[in-house]
Order: sequence, then C-alpha cells, then structure tokens
Amino acid sequence: MENYTNNNTARRYKAQVSILGTTQLHLRNPYIIGWWSAAFPGFGHLLLSKYLRGFVLFIWEVVINLQAHVNQAMIYSFQGKIGMAKEVLDTRWLLIYIPVYLFGIWDSYRTTVDMNQVYLLAKRENHRYNTFSLGAMEINYLDKRKPSTSVIWTIFMPGLGQLYNHRIITALFIIVWSVIFFYKSCVLEAVSMLFLGQVHQATNVLNAEWLLFLPSIHIFSIYDSLVSTVENNKLFEDELRNFLKMNYQHASFVIQKGKKVK
Amino acid sequence: MQIFSTFEDTGYLELAISLLEEKGINKENIFAVPLDNRQADRKIFDTLHRSDGISLVDLAMALATAFSVICASIGFILSWGPIYWGLIGASIGFVLGLAIKLFIIKVVKKQPNQLHGQKSEVILIIDCDATKAELIEEILWDHLAIGVAKIVNK
Repeated sequence: MENYTNNNTARRYKAQVSILGTTQLHLRNPYIIGWWSAAFPGFGHLLLSKYLRGFVLFIWEVVINLQAHVNQAMIYSFQGKIGMAKEVLDTRWLLIYIPVYLFGIWDSYRTTVDMNQVYLLAKRENHRYNTFSLGAMEINYLDKRKPSTSVIWTIFMPGLGQLYNHRIITALFIIVWSVIFFYKSCVLEAVSMLFLGQVHQATNVLNAEWLLFLPSIHIFSIYDSLVSTVENNKLFEDELRNFLKMNYQHASFVIQKGKKVK
Repeated sequence: MQIFSTFEDTGYLELAISLLEEKGINKENIFAVPLDNRQADRKIFDTLHRSDGISLVDLAMALATAFSVICASIGFILSWGPIYWGLIGASIGFVLGLAIKLFIIKVVKKQPNQLHGQKSEVILIIDCDATKAELIEEILWDHLAIGVAKIVNK
C-alpha cells in the first residue's frame, strides 16, 4: 500500500519510497563520484542509485582484476618491485581491464553532472511522490536517522548502515561481497593473530590479492551509509515542510496582537 | 487566544499536530511556518553544503581508501604487516583529507558564522479558546517544542 498513486504526470520526480528502499536524486560532487569509481569500478554508480550497472562493473572488477592479477601488481608496484609487477600481470586479461575501468570513472562522472541538473529541475518542479510503502514483506517510510549511528554500524560490518537506511538491495550486495572478501583474504584470522601479538604469522596468513579489495568496500560502505542517512533526513524535512505548507496555512487564519501571558 | 511555538523538523511535530486535531482543534486554526535557515545557496558544480557533514568528510574518505590500499601493500614487507599499516594509512588519509577540507572551508571559502546546536525550523501558531490553553501548551512541550508563548488579545 502506498500513500500516493503516481499518474506519471510530472516531468521529473526527485524521490521514490518503495518497499526495497528510498531512492532519491540529490546533488553530488562529480569528482568524488568519479573517485569512488576509480577506487572500485561500480561504487560511483551505486552512490548514484544506478544499481544494475554498479553491480555489473563491480563483479567485472572482481573477476577481471583477479584473473589479470592487477591487485598483486599494485602491491608489487607500491613496494617498488616493478619487475615483479610486470611479471605477475596476465596479458591475456589485462587489456580488457583497462577500458572498462576508465569507462566506469568517466560514465559515473558525466552521469553525476547530468543527474545534478535533473535534480535541480525536479526540485523546482516539486511534484508529489510516494513517501510511504507498506507491503507483506517490508515497510518503508521517510524518517529521521542519526548519521553517526549509521557510520558506527557500518564500521562494525559493511552493509549494516545500508540496512539501517532501508536500502535492502545495496545492503544485501555489500554484505555478500564483504563476507567473500573477509573469507578469501583470511583477514579475520590475521586480526585474531594480531590480538595475540603474532604479527609475522598474521602477515603470512593473508591473501594479498583479496585483502586489497577490503579497504575500498569498507570505507565505501561507511561513506555511502553516511550520505544516504543525511540525504534521507533532508528528504524527510523537505516532505514535512511541503505537508505543513499544503495543510496548515489556511487563508482565514489571522494572527492577533496582544500581550504574552504566563 | 493564540499559542506560538517553535519546533525542529521532526516526526514529533506532526504527532503534536495530529494530537491537537484529535483534541478538537480545527485545521484552519493551526498555522505552520517552515523557516528557512541561513545557508548558502547550493551550486550545481559545488559540493554539498558543508553543514550536512558529507562534504566535510568526502575527501577524507577518498584519501583514507587510497592511503589504506597503498600502505597495506607496502605493509607486506614491513615488520608491522599489512593490517596495521592499512589501518594507519586509512587514519593518515582521513586526517589529511579532513585537514585539507577544513583549510578550504575556514580559510579559502570563509562563510558568515552560522548558529550551532538546536535550530528553530518551524513556527507553529494555534488559535484556541483560553480554556484549552493549558492542554495545548502541555501537548506542545511533550512533543519537544523549543519554545512556547501564549498571547491574549485585549
């Protein structure tokens, strides 16, 4: 059940509250979105709520990067072992990695610039949109959430902040992939060894190629949950203000002059 | 009699209004004025406004990722290993990004001072009988009104 039946009469809408999550247009910095696509192809698109192409690029990155050994080459390069970096790269895969990687950055950059314009137009048009969704499996509505809470949960486990914000699809995707990265990189084993002070064993147990995916996905999900909490709050305020203006500014209301009493 | 009050934009405001209507105050006798708080206009190619916390940390998060990946890679040949170095890299990147951003905001693009803390975001005025004033005042306070004042006209 929804509180607004869209008849598709608006030219543009700025948000949609659905069972699977709140999707909204808002202003974004194209350089920051482009940066996230550089950190991990697909992240820029996920921030833009262009989930399907985000997923495609993300999975592409995991598969092709591991096949071409790009992460391993990065590790060797940062360590200054350029010869070993050249050695490890698989040229059977490498050349198709590059164009898609660059496409991800370029496409998310130009989409951001475009969508910022669409947002401004949608905001000026200020058409009504659905703000409440009640179904057999889920309930979603606009409300105010704490950005700090969302960040803290995501620090503990990527994806929890997305659940807090009711972004079910992103949450599921991030949780599944984080578990894969945590498992394949053996990072949790290494962490428990570090707690025991076995630093050397901890380094040895790690799988470097898989480990390198973790900082990106973890910090990305923290950033994503923060952004969506803040923007959801703004959307809530905006909707409430519109509601007040529509319903509680009756023409017959007269403000009286008088004295303040206790 | 009219009762003036200010609120933040929260769900409590709507709860207060719906309770007032349930207690017999007509819609026409409730007047709400959403206030615009002082902030710079949003610009299309600029970042989000700084007060929302995002633009303040966006560079920090980006640099944290970059430094974390680089330091973790180098950490494989350092004595502390990749996890400690990855975390150190993330912290350095975050602090560096935040410092750059704060420098830009405080020094390069200095803006007029803004109020911190609780902001009045909505003015709510209720027209009612003097007999109901007590009840309404209590409802407003219970729903986290920032300030309430009763005005009697003579």
